[in-house]
Amino acid sequence: MYHCCAACIFNLKKSTHTPFGAMTPGMSIFSPMMPYGSGLTPQPVQNTNSLAILEEQQRQQQQQQAQQANAGLPGTSGQTPQLYHSQAVAGSTTTALPGNTPLYGTPLTPMTPVTPATPASESSGIVPQLQNIVSTVNLGCKLDLKTIALRARNAEYNPKRFAAVIMRIREPRTTALIFSSGKMVCTGAKSEEQSRLAARKYARVVQKLGFPAKFLDFKIQNMVGSCDVKFPIRLEGLVLTHQQFSSYEPELFPGLIYRMIKPRIVLLIFVSGKVVLTGAKVRAEIYEAFENIYPILKGFRKTT
Amino acid sequence: MSRAALRCSACGSSNIVEDALYCQAQQVCVDCGSVVSEDALSSESVYVGGSDVSYSRTTAGAKKPCMNLIIGVQRVISICRILRVNSEIEKLTQIYYREAYQHESFIRVSLRKKEHLVGCCLLLSCRLLNWPISMATISSLLDADPMVMGMLYIEMVKILNIEAPIVNITDVMEAHSHDYQISSLHAPEELSESHKDLTKRAVELVELSADTWIVTGRRPIPIMMAAIYLSWQSLKPNKHRLKLSLEKFCQLAKVNKHKPAIKRITEMKEMLCKLGQEIPWVREAVTPDNVVKHVEDILKHRHALLRRALRAQEDALLAERQASCEDLPIKEDADNHQLHGETLKSQDPEPNWGKRVLFAPPCVVQAKKSRVEQPELTDVTGDEEISDSEIDAYIRTPQEVREFALSQKMLE
Repeated sequence: MYHCCAACIFNLKKSTHTPFGAMTPGMSIFSPMMPYGSGLTPQPVQNTNSLAILEEQQRQQQQQQAQQANAGLPGTSGQTPQLYHSQAVAGSTTTALPGNTPLYGTPLTPMTPVTPATPASESSGIVPQLQNIVSTVNLGCKLDLKTIALRARNAEYNPKRFAAVIMRIREPRTTALIFSSGKMVCTGAKSEEQSRLAARKYARVVQKLGFPAKFLDFKIQNMVGSCDVKFPIRLEGLVLTHQQFSSYEPELFPGLIYRMIKPRIVLLIFVSGKVVLTGAKVRAEIYEAFENIYPILKGFRKTT
Repeated sequence: MSRAALRCSACGSSNIVEDALYCQAQQVCVDCGSVVSEDALSSESVYVGGSDVSYSRTTAGAKKPCMNLIIGVQRVISICRILRVNSEIEKLTQIYYREAYQHESFIRVSLRKKEHLVGCCLLLSCRLLNWPISMATISSLLDADPMVMGMLYIEMVKILNIEAPIVNITDVMEAHSHDYQISSLHAPEELSESHKDLTKRAVELVELSADTWIVTGRRPIPIMMAAIYLSWQSLKPNKHRLKLSLEKFCQLAKVNKHKPAIKRITEMKEMLCKLGQEIPWVREAVTPDNVVKHVEDILKHRHALLRRALRAQEDALLAERQASCEDLPIKEDADNHQLHGETLKSQDPEPNWGKRVLFAPPCVVQAKKSRVEQPELTDVTGDEEISDSEIDAYIRTPQEVREFALSQKMLE
């Protein structure tokens, strides 16, 4: 079951809600009955790309709620789930919306303490900024690197060190590695469009140098984003509870390396609250990964 | 074979001399000149190369066990014995080593890396069986770079698909403190301290530092060194001990000083000052210079002092907020221009949340000034026209090309 945020679920604030566009089509199976940290998506809230699915789920929700009401289960107000969740996970900040039953059933259902927190929390309100885009393109012809290095101002070529020409342009500020096979890697852009524009400029430079360069198979290979949650994070606690995903070795690296399975993103989480997300092929994966990790990080926020 | 027992098989004489033919030592009979025995061409190295022909190309039926694997396992056993780990860990390490060694990702790595693999397997089994040991210890034993070994460890854990818990710094503390030779056997009476007391106090100090964000994300050894130094000073805070710098302390205890330990000492002292200020019976101001003598009290009542300090901080923040709220209506009467100026002055361009809380990770409190972001090209579509003049700016003129070629020739 996917929800962009609680606002979607309960049909509030539709106008201010911005769904993340161009989402990954494959949906993972998320079920509240899965054991904590089962190996797919970290709980609790995932993103969706289709309003229709949302509405469908909302309908299912309401059916579920109706069933529970019929069964006469007591204490389905906002209070009980808060109690349950705070027992399940220490330190989580549950704020159930008044008058609504939470998604995951009442404490009387025999459920493993799965979803750690905040079924009714809003989205984080923080948007990760893209810091680096790596893309590749095929210029479609063999290149003579010596000629390029000789005739281009912005090129450096040291065949003993590396078998490619390193070319730089000022706008957008990027670096390209141009190989003799005609393939090129472009790094340093801050958005997909900038990366494409930069790659085209490099291709144009190579064209002007006399090679029949084309622009084939442009593809974004990696996107790196970063953001700051603005509170300190207990990395030792996080590695204990999310052991399957996390690797934290303070002797080697100060940050915790969190390998999220869905979406397939690697996050570097630091004690200062700064998070670096990398490994994405599309922007939406970064946003989705951050929205997945934010509630977990909030659970490890301590007030000391 | 002893020399005396050697007899030439051809003539039966016992007159055998050692003759070195290039790099091959030979035993030669003086009388008839026949070679009695030969040595190997190269000296027997630690790792035996095995036969020249690999098993897959021979017609042999049984595969001989890989010599390097056997030697590696022997190395595992010897290291386990040096570290005096228990037999379960020894057995588990051997199992992991065999598994890792024969895995396709590690079977063809260099021998040096296979040696590092020994350390990684040991680290893994120690962690799984709750034997606290740090990566630095193992890598110093193997004379390896801790980073290299660490990366290999992470790779191995991923390949073997094992989840090992991390080591708690307080568990390693006891082993670490035994490194310091300042018991009464090694150091003069005035400066000596028993390991038990030292460890106990250092553990408390480390726990307190962990609560106040000094430990997370940092290398453990400088923290332990700082904790032991401060504990040692605070156990008998006389003039003698307080005057001894960290460098001299390390010389006394015969350990290598770690430079980051000095910074950790400063951070710990700052933290202790914040708590020391809350002690009700201390009248004077608690500064990093005189905090050491209060460390005992601070550690004894650390929970209460933490609560008091946090409450005091909250009250201070509340008062500040109220004060700013009260100021605003008064300011609204004042000149608009003046109001604008004052609010600008009171606000930082980027309010650092680390400065508003009592304890925050030091990397937040002393945030490095981030580079000013370049103005974002937000309306780039990627399909814009690229002007010729822009591209021409990146291409050399023929004159430049000639000069460049000339200069390259001259440089060669």
